[in-house]
Amino acid sequence: MKIAVIVFPGSNCDRDTQWALERSGLGTDLVWHTQGNLEGYSAVFLPGGFSYGDYLRAGALAKFSPVMAEVKRLADRGYPVVGICNGFQALTEAGLLPGALLANTNLHYTCKEVLVRVERDDLPFTSVYQPKQILRLPIAHGEGRYYADEETLERLEEGRQVVLRYVEHQGQGGNPNGSLADIAGIVNERGNVLGMMPHPERAVEDVLGSVDGQGLFESLKRALEIVA
Amino acid sequence: MKFHATILIELKEGILDPQGRAVEGVLKGLNYPVEHVRVGRVLEMELEAKSEAEAKETALSIAKALANPVMEVYTLEALKALQEVG
Repeated sequence: MKIAVIVFPGSNCDRDTQWALERSGLGTDLVWHTQGNLEGYSAVFLPGGFSYGDYLRAGALAKFSPVMAEVKRLADRGYPVVGICNGFQALTEAGLLPGALLANTNLHYTCKEVLVRVERDDLPFTSVYQPKQILRLPIAHGEGRYYADEETLERLEEGRQVVLRYVEHQGQGGNPNGSLADIAGIVNERGNVLGMMPHPERAVEDVLGSVDGQGLFESLKRALEIVA
Repeated sequence: MKFHATILIELKEGILDPQGRAVEGVLKGLNYPVEHVRVGRVLEMELEAKSEAEAKETALSIAKALANPVMEVYTLEALKALQEVG
């Protein structure tokens, strides 16, 4: 059982993601974006960073990488696919998730801890979390303002596709980027493709300030063990 | 034949454009009587085609591939044949 962590030119959270996965007992390979075959992998991660320097738009050029056709094929077959930050942007650009991520309302690159509420705990990415658990996770992005037209947004809410929402809790947190409906993370209709702006891989050890991201990797491990 | 194409990619109307808003604020600070400032993107390129119709088709296909239909619209702003040199 191995997980592919895709490396685009300009990815910079690939090793952190690998670290977090390996720490949870999941085997990984870093896979260069020109790779056209992901046969044998049980899940795929698109890490954070600045693929292609964020040129044109964040994630816009990554969608043309040869590996993306293969990511789409695995997603269509129901394999877990996770895009974190720039990976989320790439998944929306590639049409694997609805909507888009626009420049933060305040135009600042925002690097801080946020609070997000787990809206779904019945997914392969969230099963170890408590219902409505509030997580403290770091964000680091300039384009994280989730946008979708009204119809898409309605469909997302009705289909319970919003997985993580920015929340204010005891005077902390709040929506950091102007995201519609405070959306921090969504899944596709089938529930096997997750995109999220916060970085769970940066919250897996006490020394990092939070261990709240660990649950995502543990949930995935549990899900993959059931399948295997 | 060689053609020069200019493609304009803009945010859709109604989508908040914080860049445009920042630029507008500065322009107003300089006492320019402006409003509804929007920031878009221009792509210029030279391309090879057998005819102007083919060049147009290619340029529009490129614009479609590069723009994000969720939030952007594209226009082929200009297309002109380039003089062959020599």
